[in-house]
Amino acid sequence: MNKDDLHNSSAISTHVDAAYDEKQIQVLEGLEAVRKRPGMYIGSTDHNGLHHLVYEIVDNSIDEALAGYCTHITVRIHADGSISVQDDGRGFPIGLHPKLKRPAVEVCLTILHAGGKFGGEGYKVSGGLHGVGASVVNALSSHMEVFVYQDGKIHHQSYQRGKILNDLHVIGETDRTGTTVRFWPDIKSDSNPDGIFEEGTTFRFDVLRSRIREMAFLNKGIRIDISDERVDPAEHKSYHFEGGIIEFVKYINKNRTAIFPEPIYIEGLKNDIAIEVALQYNDSYQENTFAFANNVRTPEGGTHLVGFYAALTRCINDYGRRYKILKEADSNLRGEDVRESLAAVVSVKLREPQFEGQTKSKLGNSDVRGAVDSMVHEQLSAYLEENPSIARIILDRSLGAARAREAARKARELTRRKSVLESASLPGKLADCSETDPAKCEIFLVEGNSAGGSAKAGRDRHYQAILPLRGKILNVEKTRLDRVLMNEEIKNMITAFGCGIGNDFDLSKLRYHRIVCMTDADVDGAHIRVLMLTFFYRYMRPLIEKGYVYIAMPPLYKITKGKMERYVYNDEALEELLDEIGREPKPELQRYKGLGEMSSEQLWTTTMNPETRTMMQVTVADAISADETFTLLMGDQVEPRREFIEQNYDLVADLDI
Amino acid sequence: MSEIKDTLIPTELEHEVKKSFIAYSMAVIVNRALPDVRDGLKPVHRRILYAMNELGMTSDKPYRKSARIVGDVLGKYHPHGESSVYDAMVRLAQDFSTRYLLVDGQGNFGSVDGDQAAAMRYTEAKMTRMAGHLLGEIDKDTVDFYPNFDESLMQPTVLPSRFPNLLVNGSSGIAVGMATNVPPHNLGEVIDGTIAMIDNPDLTLDELMEHIQGPDFPTGGIILGRSGIREAYFTGRGRIIVRAKTDIECCPQGAAASSSPRFPTWSIRPA
Repeated sequence: MNKDDLHNSSAISTHVDAAYDEKQIQVLEGLEAVRKRPGMYIGSTDHNGLHHLVYEIVDNSIDEALAGYCTHITVRIHADGSISVQDDGRGFPIGLHPKLKRPAVEVCLTILHAGGKFGGEGYKVSGGLHGVGASVVNALSSHMEVFVYQDGKIHHQSYQRGKILNDLHVIGETDRTGTTVRFWPDIKSDSNPDGIFEEGTTFRFDVLRSRIREMAFLNKGIRIDISDERVDPAEHKSYHFEGGIIEFVKYINKNRTAIFPEPIYIEGLKNDIAIEVALQYNDSYQENTFAFANNVRTPEGGTHLVGFYAALTRCINDYGRRYKILKEADSNLRGEDVRESLAAVVSVKLREPQFEGQTKSKLGNSDVRGAVDSMVHEQLSAYLEENPSIARIILDRSLGAARAREAARKARELTRRKSVLESASLPGKLADCSETDPAKCEIFLVEGNSAGGSAKAGRDRHYQAILPLRGKILNVEKTRLDRVLMNEEIKNMITAFGCGIGNDFDLSKLRYHRIVCMTDADVDGAHIRVLMLTFFYRYMRPLIEKGYVYIAMPPLYKITKGKMERYVYNDEALEELLDEIGREPKPELQRYKGLGEMSSEQLWTTTMNPETRTMMQVTVADAISADETFTLLMGDQVEPRREFIEQNYDLVADLDI
Repeated sequence: MSEIKDTLIPTELEHEVKKSFIAYSMAVIVNRALPDVRDGLKPVHRRILYAMNELGMTSDKPYRKSARIVGDVLGKYHPHGESSVYDAMVRLAQDFSTRYLLVDGQGNFGSVDGDQAAAMRYTEAKMTRMAGHLLGEIDKDTVDFYPNFDESLMQPTVLPSRFPNLLVNGSSGIAVGMATNVPPHNLGEVIDGTIAMIDNPDLTLDELMEHIQGPDFPTGGIILGRSGIREAYFTGRGRIIVRAKTDIECCPQGAAASSSPRFPTWSIRPA
C-alpha cells in the first residue's frame, strides 16, 4: 500500500453531515483552541513542542504494549519532514462510538480528551505528559493520516489541521493488525504564515533517539526502531532491552565501575500502581537516580522518589543495626550517605498521574509514596538478608560517605567561622560589583591573576564582578565532597555565588545571574573551562539548567594594517578578513594566547562590553547523556576515555600550542 | 546600566565539553606529555636544547646563567609558565634523574633526597657532549622546521639524533587517556644492539636481547627476574620489580641507618 496516497476526493455525504453537524462544530471548537494556545497542550512551539508531538503518538503505541498487545514500534522521520509511527497492536477501534455515532478512531483523533484512557477500563495505565492525546497532534499538523490494520482490512482516514478530509474507509487488505499514524507538523514558513511551530524547526534525530531509547529501557521487551530518512544513507537505530531498567542502570554505570555485578531489581504491583526499581552502586561520588512516572521523566522527583529514598535509607540503617555494622554509638546513616555513588532508576505506572511544579515535572499523587516505600522496603530488606556480602559492600560505602560528610561539615564550619572573624564573608580575591540586584549582575571567572588584573581594570564596576582563579581548578568528578570543599578556588566560587552547593543549593540566593567563564583562548583555557563546567554540573546543576552559565569569547587575533585595527574571533573569519584587506603588504598579526596579553581597554571592547561582545550560553538538552559525558571524560576509568579520544580526535581542527 | 543586550550563541553543554576536552587532550598527547620516538624528547626538552644550541652553549663553551636559557625558550618557542621550562631543564642536568645527562649544570641542581634545585638566577648550565650528538647535524637540512607561536622564528619538529635517545634515556609522561613509561638503557648495549640490527634487519627479539639485556637505571638497583623485561620488549607493556641495595651502618644510639643506597629513583612515579 502506498501511504502517501491521499484518498480525500470524496465529499462527505449530506445525509451523514446532518446527523452530526452540531458535534462537528464542537470538535472544531475544541481543536481550534489547541491551535490558538498550543503552549497549553504541548508546552511550547519550538523544537521541544515539535518533539512532543512524536512522544504523544508513540505513547499511544506504548500504552498498547503495556496492555500486552504490541511488541514492535517503528518511528520514521521521512525525507519530507513528516513522521510516521507504526505499531503492531490491536489497532484503533473502528466501530461506531455509541454516543457520537462516528468511528472511534475518528473520535480519538478529532475530539480533545477522547480516548480509551479516561474510563479506566481500556487501559490499566497510560503514558503521556499531559495525556492530551493524538487529537492535539492532529490539530497542530498541516496534514495527518491514520491507517488501522484490523480484521484483515486496512482502514484509512486523513485530516488537515484537525479537520476531517474524508470518512474512514477501507483501502486494502492485510494479514496484520496495528496502527500507523503519519503527520506533517504545521511549521511556519513564507508560504504557510498560519503555521504553529516556529519557522525552521525540524525533528532532531539525536533528541528523538535518546527519548526512544529511554522508552525502550522503561518498557522491557518492546522493540522500538527509529530511522531518519532525511539523510542518505538513512540513519537507523533499534532498541530492545529484555532486562528493561536493569539494563538502564547498567547503561548509566557503563563508564564507571560497579561495586557489585548485578543491579538489584524490585518489581511489583501495589494498589494498582506498577512499580519497578533497579539500583546499583558504583565507585564514583555522585548519585545518578532517574525517576519516571508513566514513562515520563520527572526531573523534579515527586512522591515516587520520596518513597524510594525513605525505604532505601531505612533498609540500610535497619540492616546495619541488626548486624552491628552500625554501632550503638553511631548515629543513623542519612539519606545523602546511602545515596552517594548510587545509580538507580525508579519507574512507576499509575492510572491518573498528577504532575506538579512549574514545569509539570514532579509527580504529586500522594498514595504513590506509601506504595513505593513499602514495596521497596519489603523487597530490598529481603535482598540484603539473602546477599550479606553485597549488603556489607553497600554498608561500607555508605559509612565512608557518612565519614566524608562529617569531614565536609567540619570544613564548611571552618569556612563559616572564618567569615565571622573577617568582616566581609566574600573571598578576598573577588572584585565585586556595586549593583545588588542579581538579575543585573555578572561575574567573570578569570583564568589566572595576570588576566584578573586587566579584567578588573577594564570592567564596568557597576554590574560586573571579577573572580580570578589560579590555574587548573580541581576535578570534582574524581574527588569526594569533603576534599572539594577544602579547595581554595572552589570555596571562593561558592562564597562568591552565595547559593550553596549540592543539596543546599538555593537558586534564590544566587548573587549573579550571569556566570561567565573567561579563560585563555588556548588548550589549557579549554581544559579549565571543562573543569569549571564539571563543577557546575555536578554541584550547581540548576545554574546550567536555567541558562545562567556563559562562556566568554575573547578574540584570537588582532590584525593591524596601516591605521586599521581589527579583532578576529576564529580562523575562518581571519581568512575572510585577510582576503578582504589583501595579504600584501603583509598585515601585522597578533595571536592572543592569554587574556593577560590584552590591555584592559582591549579586553573590555572585545570580550566584556555587552554592546560589542559575543558570548556563548550553555544549555543542556539531555541530562542522561550529559552525565555520561562527564563520567567518560572526567571520571577515573581511563580505557573508555582513550577510546573516546581515538574516535573523536578529528573534532579539533588545528593543534596549536 | 539596566539592560544587558549582547549577542548570545546558545551552545550545548555536552558539545562544548567534548570539543574543549578533545582540544586539550589531543594537545597534551601530541604536543606536551609524550616523547617523539625519533629523538626521545618532549617538545619542552627539544625547545630547551635547540635554544641552547642557538645560543652557542655547547659543551666546549663556558657556563651561562639558567635564567638566560629559560628566558630564551619562553620568549622564542614555549609560551607557558617559566617553572615548566626550568624544571624540565633541571631534570636533564640531574644525574639521578637522567641516565646520560643532556644538560651540564653548575650549582645546586637538587638532590636525590628531594631537595629543590636553586633558583634559576643562581644556577648555570650548558649542553653536554651527549646533547651535542642530538643537535650536531641540525644545520645540515636533516629535519623539518615549523614556525613558533607568533610565526617569527622556526623550530625543529624533531632533533637529528645520532643515537636512540628514547631507549637510552627513557621517558615517562602522563597524558590524557594514555601514558608512557620507558626505562633508560645502557648506551653501549643499545649501540651494540643497533649495529646488530643494521647488520641483520630480521634480528629476532632473543638475538637483540643478547646485546640489550634490560633497563639500566641512573641510580642502579637490581631487577628481579627477566620475564617482565621480556614481556615489556615483546608487547610494549611489562612490569619489573627493582630491589634497592643498602649498606646498614650502626649509629651511636644503637639505631640502624642506611647509607650509600642504590635504589631506583627512576622507578618512582614522577609527581
